[in-house]
Amino acid sequence: MPLTVGPSMGGRDFRARFLIMAGLVTLAMLVLVTRLYVLQVNRGEEYEGKSTENFIKETRVPAFRGRILDRRGEVLVDNRPSYNVTLTPAFCNDPAKGPLLRDKARANPEKSYCLTEVIPKLATYLSLDSDEVNRIVEHLKKAKGLVRFREFTVKSDVDLDSLDRLQANLMDLPGVYYLPVPHRKYNYGTAAAHVLGYMNEITSDELKSYEEKADREGPGYQLGDYIGRRGVEAAFEDKLRGADGKTFTIVDAKGKPMQSQRRAGPASLPLEDPDELIKMAKQEPRPARPGNNLVLSLDWRLQQKAEEVFTAQAGAVAVVDVHTGFILAMLSKPAYDPNKLTGRISKSELKSIAEDPLEPLIFRAVQQHYHPGSTYKVVTALAGLDSGTIGPGSQVVCNGGYSLGSRRWRCHNEGGHGVADLHHAISWSCDTFFYSTGDRMGIDPIAAMARKLGFGALPKLGVSPEVPGIVPDTDYHNRVTPGGYTKGLALNTAIGQGDNNVSPMQLLMAYAAIANGGTLYKPQLVLRTEDVEGNIDKSFAPVAVRELGVKKAHLDAVIDGLKAVANEPGGTAYWIFRKLPNVTVAGKTGTAQVIALGGGPRLKEEQMDFFQRDHAWFVAFAPADKPEIAIVVLSEHGGHGGTVSGPPALEIIKEYFRLKELPAVIEPPPLPARPGGPPPGATPPQQGLPGTPSERMGVLESDWMRSGLAA
Amino acid sequence: MELGYSSNRGGELKAWRHAPWHVLLLATVVAGIGVWNLSSASRNTAPELWRSQVAWLGVGLAVCGAMTVFDYRYLLHLAYPVYGVIVALLLAVLLKGHAAMGARRWLDLGPVHLQPSELMKIGMVLVLARFFHEDTQHKDGYSLPNLWQPALLLLAPVALVMKQPDLGTAMIIAAVAGTMVLFAKVRWKSLAIAAAALVGAAVFAWSSVLKKYQRDRILTFLDPESDVLGKGYHATQSLIAVGSGRSFGKGWGNGTQTQLSFLPEQHTDFIFSVWGEEHGFVGAIILIGLYLLLLVAVIGVAAGAREKFGAFLAVGVAGILFWHVFVNIGMVTGVLPVVGVTLPLMSYGGSSVLTNMVALGLLMNVGMRRHLF
Repeated sequence: MPLTVGPSMGGRDFRARFLIMAGLVTLAMLVLVTRLYVLQVNRGEEYEGKSTENFIKETRVPAFRGRILDRRGEVLVDNRPSYNVTLTPAFCNDPAKGPLLRDKARANPEKSYCLTEVIPKLATYLSLDSDEVNRIVEHLKKAKGLVRFREFTVKSDVDLDSLDRLQANLMDLPGVYYLPVPHRKYNYGTAAAHVLGYMNEITSDELKSYEEKADREGPGYQLGDYIGRRGVEAAFEDKLRGADGKTFTIVDAKGKPMQSQRRAGPASLPLEDPDELIKMAKQEPRPARPGNNLVLSLDWRLQQKAEEVFTAQAGAVAVVDVHTGFILAMLSKPAYDPNKLTGRISKSELKSIAEDPLEPLIFRAVQQHYHPGSTYKVVTALAGLDSGTIGPGSQVVCNGGYSLGSRRWRCHNEGGHGVADLHHAISWSCDTFFYSTGDRMGIDPIAAMARKLGFGALPKLGVSPEVPGIVPDTDYHNRVTPGGYTKGLALNTAIGQGDNNVSPMQLLMAYAAIANGGTLYKPQLVLRTEDVEGNIDKSFAPVAVRELGVKKAHLDAVIDGLKAVANEPGGTAYWIFRKLPNVTVAGKTGTAQVIALGGGPRLKEEQMDFFQRDHAWFVAFAPADKPEIAIVVLSEHGGHGGTVSGPPALEIIKEYFRLKELPAVIEPPPLPARPGGPPPGATPPQQGLPGTPSERMGVLESDWMRSGLAA
Repeated sequence: MELGYSSNRGGELKAWRHAPWHVLLLATVVAGIGVWNLSSASRNTAPELWRSQVAWLGVGLAVCGAMTVFDYRYLLHLAYPVYGVIVALLLAVLLKGHAAMGARRWLDLGPVHLQPSELMKIGMVLVLARFFHEDTQHKDGYSLPNLWQPALLLLAPVALVMKQPDLGTAMIIAAVAGTMVLFAKVRWKSLAIAAAALVGAAVFAWSSVLKKYQRDRILTFLDPESDVLGKGYHATQSLIAVGSGRSFGKGWGNGTQTQLSFLPEQHTDFIFSVWGEEHGFVGAIILIGLYLLLLVAVIGVAAGAREKFGAFLAVGVAGILFWHVFVNIGMVTGVLPVVGVTLPLMSYGGSSVLTNMVALGLLMNVGMRRHLF
């Protein structure tokens, strides 16, 4: 192929042209360098000024946390308006100098304007303590890059006096602002406090672990955010929380929003329409997604009755639907006020709660266990019947006690009950009958029946820590008791005074299982979760833990005795329940000796008298022939079971059947409609009934959305 | 062997020894800076972007290598066919191309989107290099009538690219062709006539060829602050970003204009504004200095070329690089109107990376074989 490439025509022959070319290229580059010199060096300060005059500031739109309702739609937990004070690190600088464009503050944090001028003033206006100040300082020192342009919460739910002081002095506090945010409100104070739980600020460790698994949808938790701590607030945190949104505002060097107005004279800034500017910068605002509402299985009317009639200093009450395991009412005393624990609480108040010998934070229904006393005789009876040790017609002669070897176990009736069959043994709570039964079959059949009934295992209510209780058997005593298992231990266990410990929840579910014909249900508190529109997000169905596998005849024999307790003269609760004419109650009293057996909160000397008294139990279901509900009442150190715990149980059962009689209202009312609410997703939905604080919050919220951070 | 000039393996090995490695080194340094800068520019919007840029650079390097394994003189025979294929592709784009942002620039080839107008930059260099290589009669310079062939070769693709419409690329193609024609030497009288014709063409283009948005861009270039939120938005924000960098810049990741996303196209056409804001005048000088070194090195390779074809190929490559750098930085700093032109090895994007790497590969090829016959 003819490629005539003689060396005479190579690149060398154009030497002059290449030199010219290189010269021109150099010249062109010099033009660019000159231009850059003008822009960056000559006019750099001017442009830096311009760059500080327009910032797109990202603002968080807090999501409304879902409300908590009872089964009829009564709002138990809501959101009320409150103010959080925030700080944007980049704008927290000498107003004369403008914002911190570079991380100068970090190089010499102690001397920065923010730390020397702004924070001390802020601490005074908001009455911050040293811990709170340190937290802010830490955050300021760590903030770098874009984080400096993100506001963080300095203090949540500030009181109105502080807010007034802050507003009056806002000019001296560059970078500081306040935001209306919803704050949690527990409408009924201490009522059902342990069920509902409370919230407080997320810790930095939790923050870190959440950041690691933060999803794309929401910006995750931030410093100053609240998180559910106990009760359903904690158990359903993910459902209740929703996802925060974000909006963008164009702000000036002091963090003040630019107003949408045309400027006079030659425009020096692209700021005539902030909305347009945000659009051009392709920042998409994202609406907040409100959390789901939680519909509890509680009937608040029954709950309030229980709160009213249960007057003991300490103890627990729970009512359950025997056919589903859904809790209708539940309380633990003493209770705390979740409104106080959620937010502003003084150190002394916190201390008094933490040091209260009655330990109000403990959810006694599931978190504490007690000797069951005579309520456990039902377990012994079922074990005896199931093992063939006794039959429904078996009789024992009670002469006031039972002798085993050289020791005598006393019946509570020292004169003796005479001839007692199972029916009367339960009705009179005759100890001797059960000593005898326990002696004949030993401890293990009792333990086996107890486990079937759910004792010794966590009830899994799922809203707080729970205890499994103790089901003593041969192995247990060989392991724990000095000298190992001896027959006498079976006698103690047979009447509920051995090492056996149960939580009120376990006892309730066991009796419910007996009442419903032999199905042990898992106790549940939440019927369903719903979105703000009331559409069902998730429904919870009854969960059966197991079938007891006990003969119907045996259950009936026991129920027969329990019926006599409340309905036959001589029954330990007859004198109370004879006042209830229309409904037949089947139940059992129990008096758990505390002294020498331990249990309950730790003793304090000055309170010895109180803490030495017996625990009083009453557990029952009704109607006896076609049971609907079961109830347990425990009065810590209340004294005799029937005397102390019976009357509140009576009142609650009466209330249940009274409410049942009310026509039509038993149906849950529809969720209150949101007044004039915007379409979902457009703005944070307003929540609350007309005239409630939540509605005012809605208005406040949308004003704020429209005007940005009003000066 | 049919072709005497690559007769033995020893010659090929010798070629590698003579490869202009300093060109590749400079290009790699710029590309590295580009990735670093990109990871700042996109870290709030697309933090993984720099990874895909690295991937493109990897592909680009392979393509660059592929462009060196054959003797570039084979391209003498392939110049017209290659040019023809690319013109056909440009036609195909207009007929059934993939439209994005109001323009039809892409050809959808299964997994890859091809931008033939990018390839045309190379195609143009190839045909003109061949034309001037073969034309041995005008040692004293060309007059306009002598240039009717290059003019025709230029006008067809430029018209097609303008039609897409892609003013920036069309201008680059024309500028590269102009560079090569000027390098081939044009008579002074002819130059004056051409300049007059250009003005005439500009007037004509203004009134009947340019689209409204293109006219608007030029208008706002003349007075950017007349419409700060509209067409002048890019120009103004870009000036603020670069200017506010001052002497030493705000530091990597600290550019407020960059990080707060005031510039939508900051990772492609406006990448220099990120660099200028975060690294200031000093950073800008360093980057421009690197480009200058690269260009001088490319011109050096051209000067060492064994024959006219190689020399003109290298001049074309220098033209492609120079015009991209000059127009892009000029645009970001407000010297030139805002047209869609990328900054070589700094801007994000596969097409841009590949075009530049093909050009560099051709240049390496020319440099490697300057001692071979």
